[in-house]
Amino acid sequence: MSQDKSVLLKIKNLRIEGYSDEKWIEIVHGVDLTLHRGEVMGLIGESGAGKSTIGLAAMGFTRDGCRISEGSSIEFDGMELTTTPASDLQSLRGARIAYVAQSAAASFNPAHKLIDQHTEAPVQYRIKKRLESQEDAMELYERLRLPNPREIGFRYPHQVSGGQLQRAMTAMAMACRPDLIIFDEPTTALDVTTQIEVLSAIRDIVDQFNTAAIYITHDLAVVAQMADVIKVLLKGDEVEEADTRTMLENPKDDYTKSLWAVRDFKRDQKPRPTEGLPLISVKNVDASYGDTPVLHDVSFDIFEGMTVAVVGESGSGKSTTARCITGLLPPTSGEVLFKGQPLPPDYRNRTKDQLRQAQMIYQMADTALNPKVKICDIIGRPAQFYSGLHGPELKSRVDELLDLIELDPSQYYNRYPPELSGGQKQRIGIARSLAADPTFIICDEVTSALDQLVAEGILRLLDKLQNELNLSYMFITHDLATVRSIADEVVVMQYGKVVEQGPKDEMFKPPHHEYTDLLLSSVPEMDPDWLTTLLEERGVDDIGEAARASKQED
Amino acid sequence: MNYFIIGFYALVIGASTLAAYYQKRTAFILLFSLTLVSFVMGIVGGEAMLWGVTLLAGLIAFSAGVSYSFREFLIIILPRDASKEMRTAPLTAGFGLFVIFTYTIAGVFAPIIAPYGEAEVISSAFAPADENMLLGADQLGRDMFSRIIYGARNTVGLALLATILAFLMGATAGLYAATKGGKLDQLLGRIVDVIMSIPSLIFSLLLLSIFGTNTVTLIIVIAIIYAPRVFRLARSVGGNVVVMDYIEAAKLRGEGTWYLIRKEILPNSTAPLVAEFGLEFCFVFLLVAGLSFLGLGIQPPTADWGSMVRENATLISFGEMTPLIPAAAIALLTVAVNFVVDWMLYRSSGLKE
Repeated sequence: MSQDKSVLLKIKNLRIEGYSDEKWIEIVHGVDLTLHRGEVMGLIGESGAGKSTIGLAAMGFTRDGCRISEGSSIEFDGMELTTTPASDLQSLRGARIAYVAQSAAASFNPAHKLIDQHTEAPVQYRIKKRLESQEDAMELYERLRLPNPREIGFRYPHQVSGGQLQRAMTAMAMACRPDLIIFDEPTTALDVTTQIEVLSAIRDIVDQFNTAAIYITHDLAVVAQMADVIKVLLKGDEVEEADTRTMLENPKDDYTKSLWAVRDFKRDQKPRPTEGLPLISVKNVDASYGDTPVLHDVSFDIFEGMTVAVVGESGSGKSTTARCITGLLPPTSGEVLFKGQPLPPDYRNRTKDQLRQAQMIYQMADTALNPKVKICDIIGRPAQFYSGLHGPELKSRVDELLDLIELDPSQYYNRYPPELSGGQKQRIGIARSLAADPTFIICDEVTSALDQLVAEGILRLLDKLQNELNLSYMFITHDLATVRSIADEVVVMQYGKVVEQGPKDEMFKPPHHEYTDLLLSSVPEMDPDWLTTLLEERGVDDIGEAARASKQED
Repeated sequence: MNYFIIGFYALVIGASTLAAYYQKRTAFILLFSLTLVSFVMGIVGGEAMLWGVTLLAGLIAFSAGVSYSFREFLIIILPRDASKEMRTAPLTAGFGLFVIFTYTIAGVFAPIIAPYGEAEVISSAFAPADENMLLGADQLGRDMFSRIIYGARNTVGLALLATILAFLMGATAGLYAATKGGKLDQLLGRIVDVIMSIPSLIFSLLLLSIFGTNTVTLIIVIAIIYAPRVFRLARSVGGNVVVMDYIEAAKLRGEGTWYLIRKEILPNSTAPLVAEFGLEFCFVFLLVAGLSFLGLGIQPPTADWGSMVRENATLISFGEMTPLIPAAAIALLTVAVNFVVDWMLYRSSGLKE
């Protein structure tokens, strides 16, 4: 292993313009960046900060409709990428610079086996023969602790889990032993427990091969584990750059400080009311998709004005429980009570009033709002549908709702959803559920698609609304930081069963159920040594799937 | 060698040199290939061929000019949003819109524009063009030009009605099937399969000989034949929309199926449906023309382009191009509609991103 620490990538005064509305608009305003061999640089910032654009520019590439302006310089190992002909750039990418995308599921070609996609680049650039490369792939799979490293490559992308796919993609990026890898939010779409596996795998492999990396993320705790140097970006400008420890202990800029402070939002835990019936009561619910059972004997109560967080990995049955409550998936046995009265299992048999009482806010605001309907109609429709409001009454109700979610009515009334940012869309989603005047709202991963700053704003808004309107929330999430900040009670689910439930402060105190413990300890912390310590505690090989799989083999 | 040939070559060579000098790649390639082609043509066909090339180039330049000015005209008179769309439209779309616009005017104001009535016999059969008759007379001595103008109203109007009916039936059923799913979806799907399994021309011949040929049956038969394609498209587009969270939200709100289709699904399926409308219109148009040619479509003496081709077909043997004029009218409209549809497909497919 060489310990060459020379400069690998030097970006000077990088300006990138994007073409929109028939003119060129500058989106990255002169960013400098220096990366040494074997160094990992974290790029953080909210969406629209230009992180990914800069990441791609490091390969001499821009998205369609973007261009690198005159006067920018990208020097990779002594080569000026801005003037290199396209054909040379092509062979540089893949062979010497690799890219790991956010969604491995979308980036793999579903029609080819993993290992065939892995060997494509080395064979094309004549770095290795096919068989050599396959052998190498298996070795990499082993290093990345994928289960059955010798066979997993012969599966198709849909036959392995999301975390495994992300690791296979990292292995693919290593196929030509590049000098530089660009990771673009590789763990954002993953659960906390899977995230750890991917993070440690990436860190090991970068270490082992002295590869330089640019790690793009909006999760500060993650970047603290991965990066040697952190660069903070805001709207295409550099805010500050420092090595990880300095940055964490002593951020200089106000913007950086605000990013660091996000995780501080926390409200007091409310006690469960001692008398009265629970608002929603899920009693011994079993449910199945076709013949596949997904929920087993799920029971919990939600009292008025309380927030109950339901946590668990993906596939643990959190969202299915919500579908049972809303009536989209009638349970096979058990029932859902609303103020002591059983609700009809199928939503089609429920009365208008029963439907009005329970509303839902969705994870992806993009798909939850009809892109072809104006904001005023999206919010106005439930008000019109349930309360029969018309004309000026309806308009004043919509204005009132827009005020409630802190958006200016005069500005947003006639807009369409695609014109709004992610956070604003989520606010509209909240307004739509409020328009029905409900008592109970199911929030299905409402913040997981958002940046931390924006997500915090949404959480504060939900909290404010709960106080003003005495709402009850069922908060489905896999992010325990969110749970910490907003929940009163916590329900932990695994494999369709409730593993543990109770008030938040008890739940966060040991002793935990084994699985709760795993979830809790997997939440990244801002301490840069956290991952190392955690892995030592767990024993490097004793993490997640790889361990489970190897146990099964024995 | 005469002045025309010398002038012709001087022009093309000069123009390509200029294009090369100013580094207009596409223009240069076009002009220079034209130069090379004209060399060959000059040797093979002599002066007449070169005249042809000049005429063709002139025609293309003329239509380009017309399309450009028509597009600019639309940009000025349309409201703001629509004119912004027009500004990004390619020249071909401008041309298509211009042709459609002309046909519409001709169809709507046919009695005013046409010098004679559509069934009026004004001269001897197959009389050549003179100052009264722009395009000569047909096999009964009726004015060809007037009949073409009336034909725009009859043929295009019929095709348009049939397409609209096909779309109403197909899109409603398709979106309904997508929203409801289950047995109803299966049932509608299988019915459609049955209709689609019968070749459309044979099926229409069969139906028309059973129910007789009048305009109403013709429209309904054509609509039934074309509705299944629209059903398939609407169902698949609707199927992609139905799984979105906002549909789930609307269902949970307790909205009825009709509201879902009309307010939530339809606005998100219009782009592909409109594009399909343009394509289907062309097919329907050709089917109507084809049926008329076979004698089962619009009945005489009503002017119709398809039957006009058939009735005047004998004239072809005398080296006259009269029967080709209605055929050209069909071809031109088909090309024009397809230009517009291409533009719409381009816009809706997101290829521009």
